[in-house]
Amino acid sequence: MKNKKVNIGLIISITITAFILGLTMVIQFKTVTETDITGIEVMREAELRTELSSWKSKYEDATSKISETDQKIADYTKEIDENKDISQLLANEVAEVEKIAGYTDVTGPGIRVVLEDTDKKQIIAEELMTLVNELKLAGAEAISINGERIIGLTDISNIDYKYIYINTASDLVVAKIDSPYVIEAIGNQKYLESSITIKYGFLDSMAGIGKKASYTLEDNIMIPKYNGTIEFKYASEIDE
Amino acid sequence: MVYIAIIIGCVLGAVVGFNAPIVSYTYSNYLAIAIIAALDSVFGGIVATIKKNFDLKIFLTGFFGNAILSILLAILGEKLNVDIYLAAIIVFVGRMFTNLAIIRRYYLEKWTKMMDKRKNKKANKKESKKEQEV
Repeated sequence: MKNKKVNIGLIISITITAFILGLTMVIQFKTVTETDITGIEVMREAELRTELSSWKSKYEDATSKISETDQKIADYTKEIDENKDISQLLANEVAEVEKIAGYTDVTGPGIRVVLEDTDKKQIIAEELMTLVNELKLAGAEAISINGERIIGLTDISNIDYKYIYINTASDLVVAKIDSPYVIEAIGNQKYLESSITIKYGFLDSMAGIGKKASYTLEDNIMIPKYNGTIEFKYASEIDE
Repeated sequence: MVYIAIIIGCVLGAVVGFNAPIVSYTYSNYLAIAIIAALDSVFGGIVATIKKNFDLKIFLTGFFGNAILSILLAILGEKLNVDIYLAAIIVFVGRMFTNLAIIRRYYLEKWTKMMDKRKNKKANKKESKKEQEV
């Protein structure tokens, strides 16, 4: 009887002990498996310290990189500021040269001369050349014939005395022009007018051979830019 | 009977443990040490049973006392910045190995005796020699 009692107590205690042991062990297993060790919430102090120091050094690296980059940016900005005047000057120069070369649309006061073929008489290239030359003499800054810009290399030529071609040189934009020929020039209106209306001048000579020519003064003439490209194959610059 | 009680207790504990919430990783440290201490007590209990001087009171106080004490020591170590839990682990695991060795020898001897009983009396003589050797 006594022996049995002791046995029951023993068994109960052993069961409880085994229960507690099993419980804690399974809980521990679960904790270890399910815990994300890389998670910052569950890290031990030492791990956190290591992590923190590594981040700190990374932060310092990044900061020094930033300051380096900032320094570079400042250098570049300074350089740009120093070069600003020169680049502005160059841009102005380029614009000026383009204007001279006929690479920009221009507008201004000037004269419009209209030459027309009649049944009997036809306008020929030489007359246009003479007119352009007269206008240039009078200080025309930009000239166009039927919307074709006259530039330094422009040629005006007869083909079979049927058509007049302008800018026919191989590298230039070829344009066949036809009557009526509208010549527009920007410049001092008085000079331009007088250069062709002068006695025995262009208009007189045209009238003398019975060709039709008229002119008007315009305050706002638009002369388009030259659309072709100019390539120098033979001419090269001379270094001074 | 006792073995059945142990198995039932373990299974029950495992089942409950699977449904129990996990503890915080910080505290799982202490729990681990408590488990080591408890396991040490269990092996100590088994050895005591083998040596026939098992005392339930000693076993129970050892089981819980050692677990709690080791947790407290680990906490103290944390406060002192000394890894006392390492000492606890060394002591407990070392004792576990000692106890396991005792248990192994006991069962090995038992098994050898069993094998020898099946043989003749000559074998019995050899067995006594072996005992002397061991």
